[in-house]
Amino acid sequence: MSDSEQGQETEDVSQRQWPENGEQWSDGEDEADMDCGLQAMAEEDEEIDLHNDETFGMDLDANETTGEPRNGLLQFKEPPSPPPLCPPSPIPTSVSKPAAPPSSHCTSPPHRQRPHFLPQVPPGQRGRGRGKRGGLRGDQMFEDPAVMRIVEGRPSLKSLDSAIVECGNAMTRDIFHYDDWMARSYRKTRGIPRSILQDNAIVCVIDGHGGRGHHMTSNFLGLPYPVSSFRGRRGAPRGPYNKRVFTPRGPSQMHTSMMPGSPILSRQPLTPRQHYNQTGAFPFPLSRPCPSTPQSLNPKMMQLRFGTNSPRPSPVYSPSSNPVQHLRYPGPVTQLHPQHKRLLSQKKHASQRKPQGWDPYCNLMTAKEKEWITRLQMIQLQTVSPYLEDYYYQEYYRRIEAKLAEEELGIRSKREPPKLTTPYITKTDSYTPVVHIEGSLGQVAVSTCYSPRRAISAVHAVQAQAPLEEQKDTRQQRLEVLSKIEKLFIVLLEVEEAERMKATAVGEAESRLKEKTQRKVENIYSQLKHHDPSDSGGEFLPFLLVSKGKRLVARLLLFLDRESALNILHVVTSNLPTLMSRDTDESLPVLYPPLRTVIGGLTFSQLIGVLKDLTTSESLTTYECLTLACQNKFGLSLLYALLSQGERLLSSGVPLEPSIGDFEAWTDTIFQVAGQLSQCSLVEPLLLPSNLLTLFCRYLDKRTVHQLKSNMESATGFLALMS
Amino acid sequence: MWLSLVGKDVVVELKNDLSICGTLHSVDQYLNIKLTDISVTDPEKYPHMLSVKNCFIRGSVVRYVQLPADEVDTQLLQDAARKEAMQQKQ
Repeated sequence: MSDSEQGQETEDVSQRQWPENGEQWSDGEDEADMDCGLQAMAEEDEEIDLHNDETFGMDLDANETTGEPRNGLLQFKEPPSPPPLCPPSPIPTSVSKPAAPPSSHCTSPPHRQRPHFLPQVPPGQRGRGRGKRGGLRGDQMFEDPAVMRIVEGRPSLKSLDSAIVECGNAMTRDIFHYDDWMARSYRKTRGIPRSILQDNAIVCVIDGHGGRGHHMTSNFLGLPYPVSSFRGRRGAPRGPYNKRVFTPRGPSQMHTSMMPGSPILSRQPLTPRQHYNQTGAFPFPLSRPCPSTPQSLNPKMMQLRFGTNSPRPSPVYSPSSNPVQHLRYPGPVTQLHPQHKRLLSQKKHASQRKPQGWDPYCNLMTAKEKEWITRLQMIQLQTVSPYLEDYYYQEYYRRIEAKLAEEELGIRSKREPPKLTTPYITKTDSYTPVVHIEGSLGQVAVSTCYSPRRAISAVHAVQAQAPLEEQKDTRQQRLEVLSKIEKLFIVLLEVEEAERMKATAVGEAESRLKEKTQRKVENIYSQLKHHDPSDSGGEFLPFLLVSKGKRLVARLLLFLDRESALNILHVVTSNLPTLMSRDTDESLPVLYPPLRTVIGGLTFSQLIGVLKDLTTSESLTTYECLTLACQNKFGLSLLYALLSQGERLLSSGVPLEPSIGDFEAWTDTIFQVAGQLSQCSLVEPLLLPSNLLTLFCRYLDKRTVHQLKSNMESATGFLALMS
Repeated sequence: MWLSLVGKDVVVELKNDLSICGTLHSVDQYLNIKLTDISVTDPEKYPHMLSVKNCFIRGSVVRYVQLPADEVDTQLLQDAARKEAMQQKQ
């Protein structure tokens, strides 16, 4: 049979899959430790053997067992050779079972079989083997005659249970601590030739018993088992396991029992290593008294037993799970926006030249496991409306793509990358609304997983007080304005959303959509206009004074009709000095682009009207107005835009239909502006129209024009004007 | 927003005054942060993590996360927040 064959095969397998890891992880110390440890273990082993003999009255007989399980997939059933010694008495989820009288006949086969499973770890090959897990199961398998046949699928709990319980009972007397038991079981099996473990079949067994091993343990101690979710992977009926309790083992043992299936075998638990790190040298717990065996014992023991030679049946084990790269590319299951993917991969290429240090923590999880976890996370991300729930991400990358597309105008190939997004599902659960107790400040903290914490809405409280007071606080007013802006923003977002949908909407739906949009726009407009009649400053002013309001208006302007837009333009220009003076965070320029569009549509008379607004003000003279305008980026740009429009109109040859006095006003303004521009220092405008000089040339003499030109150029810093 | 920042360099300032610069690898619902290729930004008078390449930072210990300004569109973010608030109200 070929233990040797198997051994070799296993070794090959293990070498294939664990080429350098083992070596590199454990430096010299482990080797040395291992050696001492083995000695210590030998001593302990004798103790255990003695104990076992007393208990079970049998000697280990390695020979008998070697021949047995060489069918590829072992059958999990009562093994015929150990006869119905342990009849599968139906043991329910038997946490309470340990009291069953140990049947000695039952326990003997396990002893015989024990040698099968725990070979010595050859020195020099250490690994973060499947460690405890395997060991655990291995042990239990020894106890259980039924365990000899193990199927990779669904082992029958009953048979296993009875066997385990009965066999294990003998030990329970002494063992109150899971650790100890484990430790002991390891030691017991120490003397077994390692080739046995390399037996693929055995590995399958271990595999199949991933949970079982655990099950058995818990049977003993009635430990609850918190990790039911992990079971799901295998889909095996492991209900009973879920009730088990673990002593606070820590992840190592959880891993052991949790991970069913082959992928786990190839996994290297981190904790053993951690233990290494924590306890310094490879701790040889065997030298310590058994009952006080610390938790860290088990992983190490398992490594001793199962080490690197443990065959890795998992075909999908991927040693090259791109360990720590300086940029880790999310696994295959994560779905990124194609643009994002592109960016990431670019970065990766750029940075990959960096020499890869070997990472001792790589290959902790197989690709399968990683994928599985990623899938779990993806499930959490499932959404009915990705655009709504992850608006920022979608929109951001869409905009970047749009920008790129603009840049690459030459490349007409409209590559429409398949839009990968998180999977949608229909969300069935509804969200409970906010709880608000009357008279309290803010809201009651209702925590759900969708809203871990709710912000207290200050305006709520503020508005409650307002009616009581006659005189409104400026702070209150500001808050009101802000809250109103926020509400309007929401409507605006809906409008923009609708605009986007327009492309997809067809016919009937489109017109309805248009109507709705229009109504919303009008609503916003009217709300902005009629904020508070008692307020000074006119209609839109309170909103325009706040930077958020400016942004709102700027975005709204795109949707407004001509008249309303013009109205807003008037408001802006009339109040320009105020706006400019109170624009502390320089957000006025955000209004420039939409206003420019509006200006572009002005008729001559309208233009003149606007210019008049600009230059006349209650408190300031024209001169002052203009000066102020010139010294403000936005103001200057607006002025330029107006002038440019006028010039365009005049030079376009279209009949202007001016009202009386228009031309005079126009020329007056030109002169005034020219005077201003040439004298005072100009700031750099947002945009410098190219036809301004032409305009000035028309009306002014060369010298002035030159002066103007130089002034304007110095402001912009480059030769922007055509002469 | 966090997803769009994956792969970018950020500086995480912790409540214990340690600042860690690194590439954002992932974020979860608790705002636990995984960084790769980290280095301590401020003069390394704070705990030296010379040998550490990657780290996992529990969300509760983070004071600030400094994001690259050009990678974040604040207006867009505001809109996203509004939309989210809207959704929650419904």
